[in-house]
Order: sequence, then C-alpha cells, then structure tokens
Amino acid sequence: MRFRCTENSPDFCLAVSVLLGCDPFVEGGLHVVIQTTRFGQVEIQDQDILLFSEGILGFAELHKFVLLDDPTDDIFAWLQSCDEPAIAFPVLEPELFAENYKVTLAKTDYEALKMTDLSKARLLCIVTIPDDPTQMTANLKAPVVINIPDRKARQCVLQDNHLAIREPIFAKLQQRVVQNPTQSIKSQSAALEVAVRIQNKNQPEAGL
Amino acid sequence: MLVLTRKLGESIAIDDHIKIRVVQIKGKQVRLGIEAPKETKIHREEVYLAIQDTNKESAATGPEKTRNISKMLKP
Repeated sequence: MRFRCTENSPDFCLAVSVLLGCDPFVEGGLHVVIQTTRFGQVEIQDQDILLFSEGILGFAELHKFVLLDDPTDDIFAWLQSCDEPAIAFPVLEPELFAENYKVTLAKTDYEALKMTDLSKARLLCIVTIPDDPTQMTANLKAPVVINIPDRKARQCVLQDNHLAIREPIFAKLQQRVVQNPTQSIKSQSAALEVAVRIQNKNQPEAGL
Repeated sequence: MLVLTRKLGESIAIDDHIKIRVVQIKGKQVRLGIEAPKETKIHREEVYLAIQDTNKESAATGPEKTRNISKMLKP
C-alpha cells in the first residue's frame, strides 16, 4: 500500500503511515524541517539526506547532510549538516576549476560508499574562503564523493600526493566567467541534481 | 599504544601484508619504508590534520561571503 504524504509534519506522516500499515518512505517522501543558522528553517525530504557514515574529517559526529542550493548565490552550493545548524561547507564541483582532475579511490572508499566504480558518483570539493576572497582555495586532496542513487557520501582522502589540500581557485573561476559570461557557474554543475533549492520566504511557492 | 624497539634495518609486520622497515636513522629523523597492498591508504598524519583544519575553517564561512564572490568574479 502506498500513499503520498502531503502534510508538512513528519509526525503526522508517520502516524498516518502507521495507521495505514504502509511504509512512510514513499514517493514524495517524508518532509523534514532542518534548522540552519545561514538560511533559517529549510524544508527537505528524507531522501534528500546524504549519509556520511564516518562523518567529515574534523566533524566525525555529524552523519547527515543535505546539499542546499541558495538561489541568491550564483556559484556555491552548501553542504549543510542536518543536526548542527551552524555547520555548513561551501562546495564546488572540481570540473569547474580543475579540468584534468582524476580521482582514484581506495577499496575502502568504494566499500564505504557501496559502489564499484564512479559512474553514479558526483564529486564536490570543500572550499575555504579567507578574508581576501581572491586567495580562496578548494580541497582537491579530499573530495566529498556522493553515491547518487544510494545517497551515501564520504570525504575520501586520495593517495595522489600531487593533489593540494588548498588549491587556489579564484583565477580559474574568473577565467570560466570570462569564457562563458551568460551562463552562471552554478548552472554548469551536475551535482545540483541532488540539491534542495532554498525557497525564498518572501515569495509564495508556486502552486499554493 | 603498543611500543616496540627496532634497530636500523629491522621491521615490524602489521596483519599479513603490511611491513614497515627502519631504512635510515639520521639525528632526529627516522626514514621508514612501507610495504603494503595497493589499496592501503598511507598518509603522514599532518595530511589528516591539515584537512581537518581546512574543513573547520570552511564551516565558519558566512553566506554573504560566497554571494560577494560572484560579484567579484564578474569582469
């Protein structure tokens, strides 16, 4: 038996699904509201959650994240913790600034991600932005790898010693903007297919 | 922590397939040779510490900062 939950309360959805004797994790999914310090309350569905079973380096206790798309930002997506409102990482796809970037994952990475190759994976690099943004860097040494169908993710430390933990990227991004001025950098990102777009609270949602 | 004493040229074995040998001792520096299966990840500890540091720095970024970058990038 399947039903589609249209109420916003996860408790309500769960209660109805228990009453009906069916799996609450149906098409449309359970709505979950997460708290964030940057974007306020954000409504997501449970299938949007990316599970980092080992956390992220330095944040081993945080396992659930969601990729957020801030419509007022043309470049970055945010990897937001579902449990810790203040923790979110600006991320970029490496294709945007490192054309010849190739990753070789270790067996343990593939096992943790429940994948055998990268065909259904997306990569994201965590970006660090100092006070002078022209000095911003991306971590190519330890990309976040997402198993798209299973929503499993892991920050994989690569063995390749030529990859930088702080790769300067400002000039490369600038070059990309100059070469392709009409298309926003973000719209060239394939990983955004798993991102949740943050609704602008001042505008009514379409269809309501 | 298990602590073992080794002389130059001696090694320790971890599991069945990992061997770590003392290759050179020079003042305060010790060179280690490591034999391990290809899929074993081997890094200096500083690599992990440096990644943790950058992650912590990144997590402290505010959203205004990233929005401003798109303006800065426009020629």
